[in-house]
Amino acid sequence: MTRTKNRTLSALLAGLLLASASVVAHATDLLDTAKARGTLKVALEGTYPPFNFKDPKTGELTGFEVDVAKLLAAKLGLKAEFTTTEWSGILAGLGAGKYDVIINQVGITDERQKAFDFSDPYTLSSAQLIVRKDEKRQFNSLEDLKGKKLGLGQGTNFEQKAKSVSGIDIKTYPGAPEYLADLASGRIDAALNDSLLVGYLLKTSTLPLKGGAPVGSIDKIGIPFQKGNPQFKAALNQALAEIIRDGSFKQVSIKWFGIDVSKPPAAQ
Amino acid sequence: MEIWDLLQLAAPIMLKGTAYTLLFALSSMVGGLALGFLLAVARIIPWRMVQWPAAVYVSLMRGTPLLVQIFVVYYGLPSIGIELSPLTAGVLTLSLNASAYLSESLRGAIIGVSKGQWYASYSIGMTYLQTLTSVVMPQAIRMAVPSMSNSLISLIKDTSLVSVITVTELMLSTKEIIAITFRPLPLYIAAAMLYWLLSICFESLQHRLECRLGRAHR
Repeated sequence: MTRTKNRTLSALLAGLLLASASVVAHATDLLDTAKARGTLKVALEGTYPPFNFKDPKTGELTGFEVDVAKLLAAKLGLKAEFTTTEWSGILAGLGAGKYDVIINQVGITDERQKAFDFSDPYTLSSAQLIVRKDEKRQFNSLEDLKGKKLGLGQGTNFEQKAKSVSGIDIKTYPGAPEYLADLASGRIDAALNDSLLVGYLLKTSTLPLKGGAPVGSIDKIGIPFQKGNPQFKAALNQALAEIIRDGSFKQVSIKWFGIDVSKPPAAQ
Repeated sequence: MEIWDLLQLAAPIMLKGTAYTLLFALSSMVGGLALGFLLAVARIIPWRMVQWPAAVYVSLMRGTPLLVQIFVVYYGLPSIGIELSPLTAGVLTLSLNASAYLSESLRGAIIGVSKGQWYASYSIGMTYLQTLTSVVMPQAIRMAVPSMSNSLISLIKDTSLVSVITVTELMLSTKEIIAITFRPLPLYIAAAMLYWLLSICFESLQHRLECRLGRAHR
């Protein structure tokens, strides 16, 4: 999910980010700082399966992005050190230097690139509708949902996608569990989420729902870090290229999704 | 998944979250009470230089959202070189915020003590400070207990906001379980019950304190 969450705080956060970004000057490259420390500090939500979540049996972090982070850190000769935090504070924490990178399905957008640098994309995905199993109506695009109720996560970029089509009655929810429950009970007509997530959602929940049509353009997901770290950027991109080349990325991707997510959805 | 299995799955993670919530609540109560007392006194002593900053502080802390305050302390202060751990930043902000509310409860109670008490103390030669600490404050505290308890119990639930600064307290740990089980309702209710349980403990403390302080008035 390319999360362009724009909560009420976003304006203030942007201010804070800029303020902190301008003051936190980089005497040394992030790569040197991380090497000296021996760890790569990675932030993620920990509530976003199958990308990153806590295994209830062990209490340990697991998921696709946890595996990717470990692979990348190993290539960089570092140990991955994870911090979990809520989405609403995750970008502010990166700006304030609380961790080195965020690996949490952060979409590469023009706006974010003003504040942070990104690695090359490691996931390509698109949005997909979710509907009730017994749905008879055909929803092939967002246009088909005009006058219908569409549920989605607060401040995600799906919200912006849906808003770009006028006439859809958009209902925002704190998270997927809430709108899936409402969809099953018939309060809304459809829900919108990341295509990669839909398969997992439907497999994990027992609700009578099914995947609908894919909608919108392809989103590029990258790893953001503070600006002004050219060496770190080069090293990170090289590490990413290596794990894609040696097949370890593909192996992890297939383990969690059954497909190679570094390829565009059409080629998957 | 049956409710019972679900709760069994959630219990270890949520109880750990509860421990964090309790830690934050207790520490912030201590900090908030200490600072709240100072603020209340600062606002009643007849000295403008102290009254005025205290009044502005209370107005600012009550008038801005706690979430923003937490953000500024944790994510904003590093830009001026103050780097706090999530625990410190959380407890500090909650204390600063709670102190503003607590100080007002206490100030109201101090004002509520009859003027005659002050005059009576002065007439037997007590100083301002002696009157305040030995005569007025003990009476004020008794009157302030119910409203201060309001703020303190409210503080228990306010701790859920520290989840934005990487602390996995009760609310965030509940969300973690919801994210993997897609069962929001039973889990939110379970979290609510845990918050209630914590509040009940404090209510009984409040009750005992009221009984103790009210012995002279039965």
